[in-house]
Amino acid sequence: MSNKFQMTLAAELDSLSRFRGLIKSACKGDRGVDEAACYDLQLAADEACTNIITHGYAGMNPGSIMLTLEMLPERVIMTLTDFGYAFEPYEPPAPDAVAAMEERPTSGFGLYLIYQTMDEIDYVTTLDSNQLTLIKKLEPIGSTSTG
Amino acid sequence: MELKVREQDTVTVISVSGSIDALTASELTDFADAQIEAGHNKLVIDLSQVEFMSSAGLRSFLGTMKNCRKDGGDMLLAAAQPGVEKVLKLSGFTEIIKMYPSLEDAAEIF
Repeated sequence: MSNKFQMTLAAELDSLSRFRGLIKSACKGDRGVDEAACYDLQLAADEACTNIITHGYAGMNPGSIMLTLEMLPERVIMTLTDFGYAFEPYEPPAPDAVAAMEERPTSGFGLYLIYQTMDEIDYVTTLDSNQLTLIKKLEPIGSTSTG
Repeated sequence: MELKVREQDTVTVISVSGSIDALTASELTDFADAQIEAGHNKLVIDLSQVEFMSSAGLRSFLGTMKNCRKDGGDMLLAAAQPGVEKVLKLSGFTEIIKMYPSLEDAAEIF
């Protein structure tokens, strides 16, 4: 059973569901990825891809996004590579939903969700590409997930 | 994403199926806005068939809830699955949006 998965798609919102589909497929089987961890991976990838599509490629012809997954016994390593503008996912403060309700400025929800669901986040930008690495540690089978 | 609407006593129930992401959220927002414009400002969003929701869903709910409350109504959420519920909790939305475990529980509130 291969433990590596890869998919390259156009950087457009139509691609979001296909990336999530790849992650769901990769989580299936005896890989120790429970439903909660699989959801977290889909959520983090979805939020990161949305940022790349709406900010990284803003004002230029949309390029592509390459998603790779490496399924290891104790963790999943997910990388997203794009060729647009660098958009470093800094860690935002907790969003204030009450402020958002009152139309006061608040920080982004998407980045916050990435930081809340992933265990390690790394961002490397080179002359021609940007690579975001997201690591999700897996709970030992049979334990209660809190992440 | 699939959207269905039905009246239940004085409440309008919008049932969502599939995924709410950056592509589909605006469709949900427009659908809910049309209900409010038609005078239905007591909305229950049935999330029992929503398998995935990103932060795009939060923004949609925020706008719809504001519009409902502006007219003296409200928007409640019902039957969120664990992943969707986690997104709502992590982002603090459970402080501003009323959530109920089942559609019946939510519909009784109005």
